[in-house]
Amino acid sequence: MSDEKKLLEVKDLSIAYQTDLETVHAVNHVTFSLNQGETLGLVGETGAGKTTTALGIMGLLPKRTAKITSGNVYYEGKDLLQCGKKEMLGIRGSSISMIFQDPMTALNPVLCVGDQIAETLQLHNAKHLTREEIEAKVDETLELVGIPKERKKEYPYQFSGGMRQRVVIAMALINDPSLLIADEPTTALDVTIQAQILSMICELQRKYKTAVMMITHDLGIVAETCDKVAVMYAGEIVEYGTLEDIFTGDRHHPYTVGLFGSIPSLTRSARRLQPIEGLMPDPTQLPEGCAFAERCRYCQEICRTTKAPVQNDHGHLVRCYFEGQPFAGEED
Amino acid sequence: MGETLLEIRNLKKYFRTGAGMLHAVDDLSFKIPKGKTIGVVGESGCGKSTLGRTILRLHEATSGEIWFQGQDILKADKRRMKEIRPKMQMIFQDPYSSLNGRMTVRQLIAEPLIVNKICRSRREIDEKVDEIMETVGLSQRLSMSYPHELDGGRRQRIGVARALVLDPEFVVCDEPVSALDVSIQAQILNLLMDLQEQRDLTYLFITHDLSVVKHISDEIMVMYLGQCVEMGPSQAVFDSPAHPYTEALLAAIPIPSIESKHKRRTLLQGEVSTPINPGKGCRFAPRCPRATEVCRVQEMKLREVGDHHYSAALCQNREYS
Repeated sequence: MSDEKKLLEVKDLSIAYQTDLETVHAVNHVTFSLNQGETLGLVGETGAGKTTTALGIMGLLPKRTAKITSGNVYYEGKDLLQCGKKEMLGIRGSSISMIFQDPMTALNPVLCVGDQIAETLQLHNAKHLTREEIEAKVDETLELVGIPKERKKEYPYQFSGGMRQRVVIAMALINDPSLLIADEPTTALDVTIQAQILSMICELQRKYKTAVMMITHDLGIVAETCDKVAVMYAGEIVEYGTLEDIFTGDRHHPYTVGLFGSIPSLTRSARRLQPIEGLMPDPTQLPEGCAFAERCRYCQEICRTTKAPVQNDHGHLVRCYFEGQPFAGEED
Repeated sequence: MGETLLEIRNLKKYFRTGAGMLHAVDDLSFKIPKGKTIGVVGESGCGKSTLGRTILRLHEATSGEIWFQGQDILKADKRRMKEIRPKMQMIFQDPYSSLNGRMTVRQLIAEPLIVNKICRSRREIDEKVDEIMETVGLSQRLSMSYPHELDGGRRQRIGVARALVLDPEFVVCDEPVSALDVSIQAQILNLLMDLQEQRDLTYLFITHDLSVVKHISDEIMVMYLGQCVEMGPSQAVFDSPAHPYTEALLAAIPIPSIESKHKRRTLLQGEVSTPINPGKGCRFAPRCPRATEVCRVQEMKLREVGDHHYSAALCQNREYS
């Protein structure tokens, strides 16, 4: 895999939100990379730091409160964190673009959708397209995401949730980005519509060799779309590997095991779920040792005092002293 | 099947809108056996929440009958309703908006007792609140906290406590876990199942998440645009779905296992049409891959396709044909 070109490389990224009262350590020393045409799944629960990581890469963090405290984000070898405002404007929306979670609020309600999509293109008009050419490109993109081009003069309120998400995707794709960050693209949608949107994203990815960073809390979506998976907990990546590493194999971080044990299964019928007891630690006061220690049933004294080193097994990374536990859910 | 707790006959709930009559719940009939869980699934806008609310008379039904304890509760007067209400409770979807932010946990849980005048003294209320807090897993030190100080899982435990403090027989759970993270969701699901066992509760469990419904339900009802398209024992519905919509719904769920990466699935085209003034014929027909001319004009009726397993489709799945 090393001969493939690394498109995105995030190294030791830490992001904190600072308020007058406290500091929230949202992302802590996150490292991962993404090759061209690959899909990386970023999985975790609310508050795990998934969206903050994405916003950090995009340079969209709120200026007053958020602070990048360490790390680098290399995109095609260039450090995005060192880029000036102008340079970043050129990259964002053209080479790296993002699909936001909630299509109900991501669109401008007073612009018709055709104009909103065209806006992205006009801003980055590298090929100096004329107005007619832009119109043609908008039509083409609408067709691509499955919206009849006759509807481009309609406003967002006239569209259903699934159709609005298609508009958001059209906006993200119109500049042929090489990296697409999808932040919970289907969480607000019904399952049948979710299936349509996911298969569309996958198809477009295959066609244009786009790299996708899929942020989700749904392990089912990960299984269907991703090549690599990073499991996040309390701002850290606790396990990282290929899809096969995470879903099969018998060496896992206890949090990953707990996550799988918590999902009711459609195929197996266990009468009781095996939830992870307790809650995620307060990100303003992260523990000294392992962040998962409080909820972990394999926790030992050493876990509470020192951070576990990352165990590397042919690229399958697990941040735990005692990894190697079988899936709790598979004991039946 | 055991004793029937609740029987619903030809229940209809229409809403008048500017564009016409919105058929939110259209002619549903089913029985809920005592001590069991009946799961209601469907996409947003299919009328599942309206169904739950109509059964509790939070919406007045347009027509139909709801039999509970030998009485049609839709005909019960105000005073009788007051007696019935504590026996039928509801757990709401969003623990972030369904709790009064200016009341403490103790006040929130005591409120149903006070409103229904269940307890005679302050002390009795306190005892009941303490007891239920322990049952749902809320520690005593939280009793003076306000909802905003608590996380979603604990808030939903308050919602559960509020419903159960009246010792109901029947509880409508309207998407009780969909606002929660998976690890917390599992805690609440386990709690609900334990409580059902201890107190012989009957649930009407409304959700859009099929894996949750399969996990918790004994029987399943699949709704599409206000109508029931399939009903039957949980296992039968999941193993051999008889209606094309159920099939499509099952096929659409992403399954967290390694095999699903290469799975080719049949996708449902199009979107849910409007429930306003629906015409005759099957409401799913415009999206149905197996629809024929007959489906578009003929009124659909539930027919038995297996043991207690009903489907409203004309075409039959291979299992039963």
